[in-house]
Parts: sequence; C-alpha cells; structure tokens
Amino acid sequence: MDALNLDMILVLVTIAVAVFLFIVEWIRIDVVAILIMVALPLMGLVTPKEAFCGLSSNAVVSIIAVIIIGAGLDKTGLVNNLVTPVLRVAGNSTSRIITAISVTVAGISSFMQNIGAAALFLPAIQRVSKKLKIPMSKLLMPIGFSAILGGTMTLVGCSPLILLNDLMAQFNLKPFGLFDVTPIGAALVFSGITCFILLGRWILPKTETDEAEPKAGSEASDDGDTAADIYELRTPKDYTHYREPVTVGDLRERYLVNVVAIVEPPDYKIVAPPSTMQVHSGVSVGVFGPKDAIERLAKEEDLELMPQLEVFAEELTDQESGTVEAVVAPRSDLVGRTLKELEFDARYQVTPISLGRQDETYLSDIANMPLRVGDVLELHGTWKRLQYLHQGGSLLFTMPVEIEELKKDKAVFAGFWLAVALIMVIVFKINLSVCLMTGALGMIVTRVITIDDAYHAVDWRTVFLLAGLIPLGMATEKTGTAAWIANGVLQGIGPTSPIVLIGVIALLATFFTLVISNVGATVLLVPLAINMAKASGLDPRMAALAVGLATSNSFILPTHQVNALYMGPGGYRSTDFMKAGVVMSVLFLVVMVTMMSVLYGI
Amino acid sequence: MTVITISRGSKSMGTAVADQVAETLGYECLSRAVLLEASEQYDIPEIKLAKAMQDAPSILERLGHRKHSYVACVQSALARHVARDDIVYHGYAGHMLLKNVSHVVKVRIVAGMEHRVSIVMHQESLSEADAFHYIQKMDKGRQKWTKSLYGVDPTDVTLYDLVLNVPRFGMEDAADLICRSARLKQFASTPDSKRDMADLVLACEVKAALVEEHPDVAVTSKSGNVLVYSAAGDRHGRKVRSQVESLCQSIDGINNIEVHVGAAAPESAV
Repeated sequence: MDALNLDMILVLVTIAVAVFLFIVEWIRIDVVAILIMVALPLMGLVTPKEAFCGLSSNAVVSIIAVIIIGAGLDKTGLVNNLVTPVLRVAGNSTSRIITAISVTVAGISSFMQNIGAAALFLPAIQRVSKKLKIPMSKLLMPIGFSAILGGTMTLVGCSPLILLNDLMAQFNLKPFGLFDVTPIGAALVFSGITCFILLGRWILPKTETDEAEPKAGSEASDDGDTAADIYELRTPKDYTHYREPVTVGDLRERYLVNVVAIVEPPDYKIVAPPSTMQVHSGVSVGVFGPKDAIERLAKEEDLELMPQLEVFAEELTDQESGTVEAVVAPRSDLVGRTLKELEFDARYQVTPISLGRQDETYLSDIANMPLRVGDVLELHGTWKRLQYLHQGGSLLFTMPVEIEELKKDKAVFAGFWLAVALIMVIVFKINLSVCLMTGALGMIVTRVITIDDAYHAVDWRTVFLLAGLIPLGMATEKTGTAAWIANGVLQGIGPTSPIVLIGVIALLATFFTLVISNVGATVLLVPLAINMAKASGLDPRMAALAVGLATSNSFILPTHQVNALYMGPGGYRSTDFMKAGVVMSVLFLVVMVTMMSVLYGI
Repeated sequence: MTVITISRGSKSMGTAVADQVAETLGYECLSRAVLLEASEQYDIPEIKLAKAMQDAPSILERLGHRKHSYVACVQSALARHVARDDIVYHGYAGHMLLKNVSHVVKVRIVAGMEHRVSIVMHQESLSEADAFHYIQKMDKGRQKWTKSLYGVDPTDVTLYDLVLNVPRFGMEDAADLICRSARLKQFASTPDSKRDMADLVLACEVKAALVEEHPDVAVTSKSGNVLVYSAAGDRHGRKVRSQVESLCQSIDGINNIEVHVGAAAPESAV
C-alpha cells in the first residue's frame, strides 16, 4: 500500500471536515458543498476548471431538466389528478390503501423529486386516516419509504443515480441507461410494500387505536351539514346599533367559520378580510364553513342566510377563488413560526381555514400555533393570491386545485414532451441530460411552463450540492486517495467474492447516506468502490451501481427529506424509524444484491 | 347586573366594606362559601382547599401539583357562582380570575400600615413590633401566593379599576364610591360580557376536570369552543388529547374541544 502524500492528506482532511459539517449541520449542506468547491482549487487539489465543472456536468443539467419537467407536469394538473382515482381504487382496506398510494407515489417519484411525490398525497392520506380511523402512523411510513424506493426505478429518480454516470465518466466506464435500474428499483418497491403489508403490525409503531378496526364503507364526510362550503349572509341595516362591534376574528372564534369576503355598498369589496375588520350594518358577508355552524352563526348573530350566492356569485365562484391544502415543506422558512408572526393574512390575503397535524384537524386559534414540517394548511383565497403564495415555495400545494394558471389544456403538450425525452433516451440513445433538457425546453416553448416559472422551480440547493461535491470526488480520485482507501478496505476484509464485495460497498453506502447526504455519500464512495472493484476483479460499473442504489437505503434515521416530512404528521419518533428502518434496510440490501446478481450475473 | 371583586390587604377593613356594599346594592356577599361549594362539588375537604387558597405551594407541592388542582376546583366553583351576577366577592384573587369579564368591578382596598398595626394590636393583643411583623408576614404570604399562581404582584394597581384608601374616605364613603362605580354603564353586563362569563365558567370546569391528570394545561373557551393548551411534548400530548375527550364528556356546553400541544397559552387562559 502506497504511503500517504500531502495531497492525499489534504483530501482526507477535506473529507473529514465535510463529513463533520454534514453531521453537525452548523452550516447548510449546500453551503458546505460550495465551500469545498472553492477550497479544493485553493489548495491546489483540482484545477479551477475542474472545481467548477460540476456546474456544467450532465448530472446538474439533468436534475435541472427533471425539476422543470416535473414543474411542467405539475402545472397542467396531470400529476395532481391522480389523487382522486387512486383513492377510489384504494377503497377502505388498509392494505389496499397502502398498496395503491405507495405504487403511485413510487411511480411519480421515479420521475419527480421524491419529496414532491410524498407531499402530494399527504392531505389525502390525512383525510383517509380520519375517515376510516386508520392511524396516520400506519399509513405514512410505508408510503414515505415507497417514495424513497421509487427513486431507484429510473436513472433520474434520485440525485445519486443522476450523478452516477458523471462520476463514472472519469473512469471511462460505459454509462447506464435511463431504465437500466428499473428491474432492481421495481423489485425494491415491491418488496418494501410487501414487507409493510406482511410485517406492518410488528414493525410500525403501536397506537392506542390499534385495536379499532377500520370502518369499512364509512363515509364520514357524506353528511351535508358537516361539509364546508361558502355561504352568503347579510347583516341587517341596524346590525351595529344594538350590539358591540363584531370583527371577522370574533366570528371565527365563536363559530369556527371563516369570513372569506365582505361587500359593503356601494362598491367596497374585500376578499380575505383581516381578522380585525369590523362587520358593519347592511353588508354581505361570504363565510366558509359547515352548514350547521353557519346556521348557528346566522341565528345567534341575527344575520340573514341567503339561499344561494348572490352578491358573491361572481367573486367567489370556482373560477375565481377556492380552497387548497398546502403542506409545510421540510426546509420551509415557515417552520417554527406562527401565522400571526408571519402576518399571513395581510401578506398573502388568503384565509387559513384549518391546520392538519398528525391525525388531528385544528380549527381554533391556528394563527398562534407554531408551524411544523408536514403541517397541512387548508387555505381559501383567490387563485391569483394562492398562486402568489405557491410561488413563495414555503408550502407544497398538493390538492387537485383549480389554481388560476393551472394549464389543463397544456396537459397534452406536457405528456408529449415527456414522451419525446423518453424516446430520445430509449430509442436514439442520446445523452440523458440532452434528452431531458429537450423535454424541458419543449415544455417552455409550448408554454406549458414559462421560463421564469422554470427558473423559479429549480431547487438551487440541490444544484449546488451536486455541483460542489463533484470536484471532491474528482480530487479523491485524482490524488490517489480513493485507491489508497480502497486498498486499505480490501486489505482489511481480505480476499472475498464479488457478491460479498457488492454487499460491503452497499453497506458502506447505507452507513454514509445516513450520516452525510445521499449526494455526499455517492460522490465519496463511487471512486472508492470503483477502485475496490478494479483491485478485486469485480465489474467497476456494478460497484458504482451498488453505491448509486444503496445511497437511497435511508430508512433508519429520519434524515431523508421524505422521512422528515412524514415524521410530524405520522407522530413518529426516531426509534420508530429505527425499528422499521432496520428491517427495511436489511431487506433493501438483500433484494438489491440478489437482483444485481440475477440481472448482471455477479 | 354587575359583579364586584374586592381585593384587600389583611386588616384593611375590606370585609366590612364588602358587607356594606352588598347591603347597599342588595347583592350577595361571597367569600368562604365558595370553598364549601368547591368542597361539595369536587369532594375535597374544605380545610385542604382553604390551605391551598392561603399558602403558596412549597417546592414539594409544586412537584405534586396537588395545590394547583385544589385552586382550579375553587376557581371553577367561584366562576359558576359569580355567573349568577349581583355578587360582591372578597375572597382570594377573584380579580385575577375575572379579569377579562367587562361587567366586573375590580376594587382594591388599602390602608396605611399605621392604621393596620393599630387594628392588629387591638384585635390580637400584640406589641407594635409584633403587630408590624404579623402584617408583613401576611402580606408577603399573599404576594407569594398570587405570584406563584398568576405571576403578578397583587399590590400592582393596574390590576384594579378602583383603589381605595379606606381610612382616608371612611367606610361609608368608600362603600358608596364602590356602589356608584358598579352602577356605571361601563360595568353593566352585556350579551358579550355574559358570553365571556359563560365561557369562563366552561373553561374553569374543563380545567378542574383535567388538572388532576394534567396539571400543566391551560384552558380557554370562546362561545363553547374550548381550547386546551398543553406544554407537554408530542408523545405526552397524544395522551392528553385522548384523555381530554373522556374527562370532559360530562361537561355541558362544549361546542368543540381541541388540544394544542406546544403552543403558548394566551394570557386569558385559566
């Protein structure tokens, strides 16, 4: 084994510092990546050109294109429209619900970012959980794990796989095709779902309601009186003459309904009025809430309940305004803050209706509840305002909503350009990033998504995380550090069969993905694994693939974004993830190694 | 239709003023009777309730939370009683419990130390120095009690609508001033203030039902929409949530009940 030289020591120190910063998270991981990108050329470990080549890499271009294509599909409502039919298929049985949603989520996350797919179904799962009295903890973990597993079904399903071909390029290895990983990914998804169906009762956390059987066929929201809708009420001419001033906030506090608009003659009109606004005499008030609560309000406050919308017939139609459910995203700036602190009503002019957390729906005083990751906010407002909020990016909008700019007529184009990209990859074998960028560009040209929206959709944190870490992989290889570590590991484990070596590599990748990010783990381990494979006669592509796949084996700790998103709503503790995650991780490794052995004859 | 709370330092002639006001207005004068009612309703010996209402909880008692539980029961009984209106209450911390109800006149009766010392010397046959220490000890005890339960100093004048130095006015005039204040329109009960009172009664009942199991909860109610704030962590919060429904089943008037875990309770919570 060669002796360490200064460059190798510097690379090892850089890796150690990076791993340390990834674990303690004193600095955001994308900033750590940029730090590395700058530090490496300064230390002379890579050339300035190499330091920034990550930004122009196929991986970064591919991930940008995937995000734009995903945003395009989202804009047309294609993906959102899956929710209702899937729930219909799912029916009332826990196993069917888990299977139907998991398969769909896995399918979506094989082409979109996992977190988006996971967030898409969250409000729907909450409704199903409540309706059928199935604890959220029984549903969310299997579905969340499926979202992660779904990322292994195509080469663009998750960042590590997107990165794989780039990292292999410096070794002149043949790149993988878009669907080369599909059989393995599909087997992983299938085994994951089966595992929860068969072993769910032992590995998922127990709850007090475990004994309660799901209410098959129950339709909790069928009662017309409890289904919320918009009603129009009028205050009498002498409304304020004989009572103390009543504000919009008072009505909410007293009746748990929401004033969404007020029209005062002759021509004053306000949508999403602030809670401090007084309700005057002779005005029309648009109120959103269940009918029984509205009737109680009308009776106790002496308001006239109109049989149908009159004044608001235009303002509050489905074309102009509506209700959406939005999930607080894992890295959202809303986390830990209250709607009141954020001056949410005033800033966005939308009305928060309810807040869903775990299996509870909160109606009272939600403005003072510190928000958590995974909280589901039900919001009412004009599509324009909701769109503005949506663009802020702090909330993931998940309902099949009629947001103003939802371009249903562009769904054909969106589908067409996705197909074009796939055909270019599969039939013409053109470089992946070129195909995907063609699809993204096609969507922009055919106005599925505007160029500004496309820029806005790109998650720059992921882009810089990838771009910043790519030079570290290069430095590890270039300085001989990867070979040095690989030889050390091989000497440590002694002579071994290829299948065991794949297992060891996958185990290392699993460990690293839990403590540092999956991208970081991929960048560090791919050169290492390829060197180990070369030294022991294993196909280096298989070693790289093992890393690319096993970095999605992130179930034991809630560090993966999807797990972080579902932790709050599912009411999970870290120990819950450890319990189910260990089983899932072992299963993942066994299925992955077995499938690789079967498919590639290792 | 008004409620008058009279807070008093020991030996400040507060009881006599309260009796006079009640007689003049034809109101019920209420003090220790609340303890009896609480004792009957919650099946707790009156002596324990009286002790809880007099002494600030010791460190051990704070750990056990038993005293908080007793205080919640007395508060519930008091709220239910004063909801009937036309009441002069001169027991412990009525002004704190009823601070957010607009038809409550909150009065503080004070007297100079010299005057109070002379009363104690006369009533208890003590020397001047002993009488002085006696009053100081009583005042400190009450301050500590109010501070431990409500986090405020009972001598803070901003807690009251009216502060009267009785020896300066004389008892008759002091009582007359209070009666005139009680007749002012701003202290008359309104539909809103009655609703606030009904909500306070409900919140106190819910708190009393929960406090034994969950001493850290704070409760508000608005038109029967009850909100239970729990400082417990998420896991414990689930337990609170599951128990709240069963513990509050027998309480009438709840329109909706929610448990907010980890959210700060508003100042108006009981």
